[in-house]
Amino acid sequence: MDNAIEIKGLRKEYKGFKLDDVTFAVPQGYIMGLIGPNGAGKTTVIKLIMNLIRRHAGEVRVFGLDNLRHEPEIKSRIGFVYDVPRFPEDLRLQTIASAVSAFYRKWDEVRFRGLLEEFQLSPRQVFKKLSHGMKMKFSLAVALAHDADLILMDEPTAGLDPVFRFELLTKLRALIQDERKTVLFSSHITSDLERVADFVTFIDKGRLVFSAAKDEVLETWGVVRAAGDGLRPEDVPEARGFRRTEHRFEVLTSDIAAARRASLPGVVCDKASLEDIMFFVSKGNAHA
Amino acid sequence: MLKILRLEYILNRRQIFIIMAIFTVYFAYMAYRIDSPRVFVVTTSIMIGLSMPFVILGREDKFKTAALVCSLPVRRATVVLGKYAATWAAIGLGLGYTLFFTAVFPFTKFGIGEILTARTLLVSLFLISLIFAVILPFTIRFGLTGIIILLVGCQLLGILALILAQVMGGVRNPLRLVFRAIENGLRALLTREVTPGFLLTLLAAIVAVNAASLLISRVLYARREL
Repeated sequence: MDNAIEIKGLRKEYKGFKLDDVTFAVPQGYIMGLIGPNGAGKTTVIKLIMNLIRRHAGEVRVFGLDNLRHEPEIKSRIGFVYDVPRFPEDLRLQTIASAVSAFYRKWDEVRFRGLLEEFQLSPRQVFKKLSHGMKMKFSLAVALAHDADLILMDEPTAGLDPVFRFELLTKLRALIQDERKTVLFSSHITSDLERVADFVTFIDKGRLVFSAAKDEVLETWGVVRAAGDGLRPEDVPEARGFRRTEHRFEVLTSDIAAARRASLPGVVCDKASLEDIMFFVSKGNAHA
Repeated sequence: MLKILRLEYILNRRQIFIIMAIFTVYFAYMAYRIDSPRVFVVTTSIMIGLSMPFVILGREDKFKTAALVCSLPVRRATVVLGKYAATWAAIGLGLGYTLFFTAVFPFTKFGIGEILTARTLLVSLFLISLIFAVILPFTIRFGLTGIIILLVGCQLLGILALILAQVMGGVRNPLRLVFRAIENGLRALLTREVTPGFLLTLLAAIVAVNAASLLISRVLYARREL
């Protein structure tokens, strides 16, 4: 399987935050979701891929090319959508598009107009008069109009209503029917990822927790629950975090099958959702 | 680089036309008051040249479009080159507008022929280069806030230096010597005999100052985090 993105040992330090030795790959032709709580480092990873910030160590390869040495070639194949669109607010959509389109050899004006129509946007609309959802639609139209091979999106569904979120996710799903296309998008809305992602990369406090196929994660990770205090984290194989509520004790495991085989008395083993995993690892008590 | 120039023009064209309208009034006022064609060219070109980075960077800061530009398939070095080209295009526009205005405005105190001399043009461009060589790296690295801090800082430093020069007293105190050197340098530029060597030196200085400034800006912009 070819990789659209390969990230090795990526490091970036800010005051009070460190992205530490992050390594993962995004296979070509799939959708990968980058999850993590706010401040985990998702946006930092995406900005490093786009070379909007400087890395302190590590390597980023896109389509097999170093992202610094081959910056223009790589970016001409990327459709990038910011969490907050960065277009001049007082311009018409057609003016913005005419300024941006010159940079892309494969810009398809007919496709762009078609996308605007599909998203119910008029080229004559002024950007600042659009709602947040419409701004995201326009950003997506710009990102898709030059036949990008990689769509990179930072929190595209944040602040959107469920109807448009569904539309956007459907669009992404349709996009990768062309097996050359790859999507990497960050989100803390785990239900969005469960709906469309093929792979999931989880970052917490600047460190990689896992990067794996979504189905594999949902099959292997689980939550072991017991009433009262009858369960200890060390009893559960591959325990990754736990929480205690008033009436029960819960342990997150990355090997639910092993937990079932352990036949712990008085416990219930359930598969974990991405939300469970994110909660236990980020907010629960970590357990190595 | 042409794509960056085009992008800056499209994103800022309305503001450029507004500035040209404002400068028409400014020209009329200045052309009526200033006697020296050299001073007129320098001041008007600087004013128009300054307004360009102010407008572009002001809007860039307001809408955070630097991130948009740097997400496009173009190297940062090219973005910087585009900004220099945009500024010099504005200076050229200012110069062209000055010549046009001088030709058509009935109350100017000098003729277009007085401006269109190698000496006037090169001296003007040299002084403009010196100013922009300092301003552009600041604006490119720190945006609009940077240019405001630089200009206010320069004014405060100037005032402080003048006060100190007075307080320290004595004809040979170091600050007075610096001021005198600047004054003599400017006088030499404006009155020195015009020889081909002098003009060539000026031209070389313009190129060197711009190249150094561009190099510094490229290094600074490469380090900018968006």
